[in-house]
Amino acid sequence: MVAIGVICLWSATASAHHSFTAEFDINKPVKMSGTITMVRWSNPHGWIYIDVKGDDGKVVNWAFETAAANALYRRGTRPEDFPVGTQVTIDGFLARNGTPTATSGKLMFADGRAITIGAGAVAGEQK
Amino acid sequence: MRMPKVAMGLLLSVAAVTALSAQAVSRTTASAAIPRMADGRPDLQGIWQARSRAAYDVEDHPARFGIPAGRSVVDTITIPYQPWAAMKQRENFEQRAKADPLVECFLPGVPRIMYMEHPFQIFQMRDAVAMTFEWQQVFRLIYTNGTGPSTPLQFWMGDSRGRWDGDTFVVDVTNHNDRTWFDMAGNFHSDALHVLERYTMLDADTIRYQATIEDPKVFTRPWTITVPLARQREMGRVLEYQCRAEMEEAKGDFKADPRTWYQDGSAPVPPLPSEPRSTTAAAPQGQIPRTADGKPEISGFTEADAGGANWGFEPHNEPFTPGGRGVLVDPKTGGLPYQPWARAEKQDRTTPGRGYDDPTAHCFAGGVPRSLYVPSPFYIIQTPAYVVILLERMSWRIIPLDGRAHLPDTIRLWQGDSLGRWDRDTLVVETKNLNGKTWLNEVGDVISHAATVIERFTPVSASLMQYEATVNDPVVFTRPWTIAMPLKRNPKGELLEVACLEDNQDLLHLKDVKERGIQ
Repeated sequence: MVAIGVICLWSATASAHHSFTAEFDINKPVKMSGTITMVRWSNPHGWIYIDVKGDDGKVVNWAFETAAANALYRRGTRPEDFPVGTQVTIDGFLARNGTPTATSGKLMFADGRAITIGAGAVAGEQK
Repeated sequence: MRMPKVAMGLLLSVAAVTALSAQAVSRTTASAAIPRMADGRPDLQGIWQARSRAAYDVEDHPARFGIPAGRSVVDTITIPYQPWAAMKQRENFEQRAKADPLVECFLPGVPRIMYMEHPFQIFQMRDAVAMTFEWQQVFRLIYTNGTGPSTPLQFWMGDSRGRWDGDTFVVDVTNHNDRTWFDMAGNFHSDALHVLERYTMLDADTIRYQATIEDPKVFTRPWTITVPLARQREMGRVLEYQCRAEMEEAKGDFKADPRTWYQDGSAPVPPLPSEPRSTTAAAPQGQIPRTADGKPEISGFTEADAGGANWGFEPHNEPFTPGGRGVLVDPKTGGLPYQPWARAEKQDRTTPGRGYDDPTAHCFAGGVPRSLYVPSPFYIIQTPAYVVILLERMSWRIIPLDGRAHLPDTIRLWQGDSLGRWDRDTLVVETKNLNGKTWLNEVGDVISHAATVIERFTPVSASLMQYEATVNDPVVFTRPWTIAMPLKRNPKGELLEVACLEDNQDLLHLKDVKERGIQ
C-alpha cells in the first residue's frame, strides 16, 4: 500500500557521500508497509528491501536506502535488528529515476517500536 | 672438467653450508644494526615494497601473458585446500579476469595488500602503527594499546591489533569479510579467516613478513606465507594510484572539468595577493598535552564539528540537507568571492543532473580541505617527522615535517602534496599539486588545480583543536578566503572502515538522473 502523505522537515544524511537532492525528490514523500526480504549492511549506504502489495494486488520489491553501516552501528543499531520476514513500515522520499527506490527515515515495527534508519538529520540540525 | 656425481654433490653441499653460515653471520651482525625507537623496539618506519611474485600467485606458477613465473611463498608449497575449496579456486582462476575483486578496485584485504607490487609507508607510535599504501590509498591502522576488536563487524581489511614479541611485531587480523582473495590466481578464504602476521627486521633494509593463515571452513590446516619487504630508500614519498578514479576516467565514466583540472603543460598561475594570517584560535584552556620533543600532542581519533560545511560554507537551512551554522570566517560578508564563471558553475552543480559529477559520489578521495569535514572521523598519527591523517572513508594524507620542497608541478594528486611545519603551537600545512578534479562540498563549491591551501591546526585544550583552512585559488576566486571549525578528539574512538565502492548503488541512480535529464 503506497500512501503519499505529508512528512515534515525531515531529511537527508549526516554521512552522505552524494547529493540527496539530486537522487531523491523532496516533493515525493512515501510511507510503505511490507515484509523485509533482504538487508544489505553496506557502504556507502545500507539498503532494506521490502515486498509491498499494491492496491492492484501486485507485489513490488522496494529498496529503501539507509544510513551507512558505520553510522547505524554507532547509533546502536545492529544488522540482526531487521530479520528477513519481519512486517515493517518505512517512510522516506522517492528516487527521481522512477525505480521502486526511496531514501528512508524511520522504520516502524508492528509492535510500535521505531528506529531511525535513514541518514536522517532533521532539516536545520547542524552537522 | 667432468666430476663424479657424489663429489659434485659434496662440493655443492659444502658451498651451501658455507653460504648459509655466511648468511647467519651477516644476519647476526645486521640484527645488532637494525634501527630502534627510543623505547628500544625495532623501528619499522620507512617506505617498503614486497620483493616477490606472490601478488600474481602465492603458489608455484608458470609464466602466462602478463604474469611472470614465480616460486611458491607458502610453507606447504601448495595451499592445503579442502576438496570443495580446491575446485572453487580453479573456478576462480578461470574467471579471474572478471572475478578478481581488484578488477573493481575493491580493497585487497590482508595479507594480499602486503605483497602487491606497490610501495607503502609505515609510521610507528606507542599506541598505533599505521601503514599507508599507494594502491587506492588504502591504509591499515594497527592498534598497539592492548585492546582487541571492538565490533563484530566484517571489514575488507579486517581488524588489526598488534603487540611485540621480542623484536618481532605480531599482528592479529580478524573480522574479515569473505570477498577478498590472496592473489590474482583466485586463491581465496571465507569469513572465518584469521591471519597472524609477524614482522621481523633482518637488517636495516629488510623485513621478513610472515602471515599464518587459518580458516577451518576452507583449509585442512594452517599455512604460512613468507615474503621479504625491501626498504625503498630512493623513494622520497608514497604517491597515489587511485585505481577506481583512473579506471572510470579511462572508460569515460567520469569526466573532469577542463576549466579546473591540471593538464600536462598547464602554465603555473600566480597566486592571488594575500595578507599573512595567523590563527584565530583562542588561547589554550589550561595545559595542552605535549610529545617527548615538546610539540603539542595531536594524535588519535578526531572528528570535525563541521558546521554543515559539506552542504555549504555559509549559514544554511534548506530542507533535505543538514543545516549549518556557517564556517566562512573571511570574508565575513558576501559569501565566497567567486569569479563570475565559477559562480555560474557552482549554481549549475546544484541541479539534479550534476549530482553525478561530484567525485565523492563515485567514492573518489575528497581532496583538501573537504576530506576533513565530509563528515567522517579520522585518526591522526604523529611522529617527530610526520603527521599522517587516516580518513575513515579509506584515504590518507601524509604530511612530512622535514622542510622538503613540493613535488614537481606535473605530479598532481587527489589529496595534493602537503608539507607541514610547527609555528609555535600551531601545525601549519601547505597543500599544492591538487589535481583540480574535486568539489569543495556537495553543493558544488569550486576549487581548481591552481589552489594553494594553508591549514592551521591549533590545540586549545586536551580534547579540542581549532582548524582553519585558507584557500588561495587564482583560477576560481578574486581573493583568498578562510573557513574555521573545531576538531574534537576522542581517545576512545576507533575508525570503522568505509569501503565506499562495495555497494554504491547511488551512482547508478545519479547516472540515470543525469542521462535522462530528470528534474
